[in-house]
Amino acid sequence: MKNRLRVLRAEREWSQADLAQRLEVSRQSVNAIETGKFDPSLPLAFKLARLFETTIEEIFSNEG
Amino acid sequence: MNCSTNNPAARRYMWRFSVTMLLYVLFLVLAVWAFVHYHPTGPLAWLLAVLPALAIIGQIAAFALYLNEEKDEFQVAIGVKSMLWGIGGTLALTVTWGFLENFLNLRHMDLIWIYPIFCAQSGIAYGLLQLRYK
Repeated sequence: MKNRLRVLRAEREWSQADLAQRLEVSRQSVNAIETGKFDPSLPLAFKLARLFETTIEEIFSNEG
Repeated sequence: MNCSTNNPAARRYMWRFSVTMLLYVLFLVLAVWAFVHYHPTGPLAWLLAVLPALAIIGQIAAFALYLNEEKDEFQVAIGVKSMLWGIGGTLALTVTWGFLENFLNLRHMDLIWIYPIFCAQSGIAYGLLQLRYK
């Protein structure tokens, strides 16, 4: 699953560690989601959407 | 489990793991010492013989608690995956050894080795998964 996490993070000048701290997960988890190696659960996807003040569809897409 | 973080679930797991490991060593030494010097029989012998196994069961329970308490779903996924690799590897190795034992009269493998084999294979899988998702 593709995602725009890296872009959204860059817009806010957050590092992976910053995002991990806000999500209360490890930096490794953020990296795995960002690189598409791990698909987050629905609750975590909603948490990301809330954090970036957008919708899940705006962050994740089913392409690729 | 990512032990390098300030993750409370991981810290609790390390604490529980250390306690059960210490108990395992103590119980094993106690059981060996008692059987060598006093040759216990009856219920006491049964109790002494299962003491080290109880510590191992405690260790398995500690990992189950960790998986239950860990809030980082990615870390849970890595823990479960490494455990599955450990189970699969242990089953593959022990069933292969079992057939070799039956057909080629290889040395009998004691059942007490199954848990260390599982731990070793799970540990290797955990390390490899950590490298993959670094």
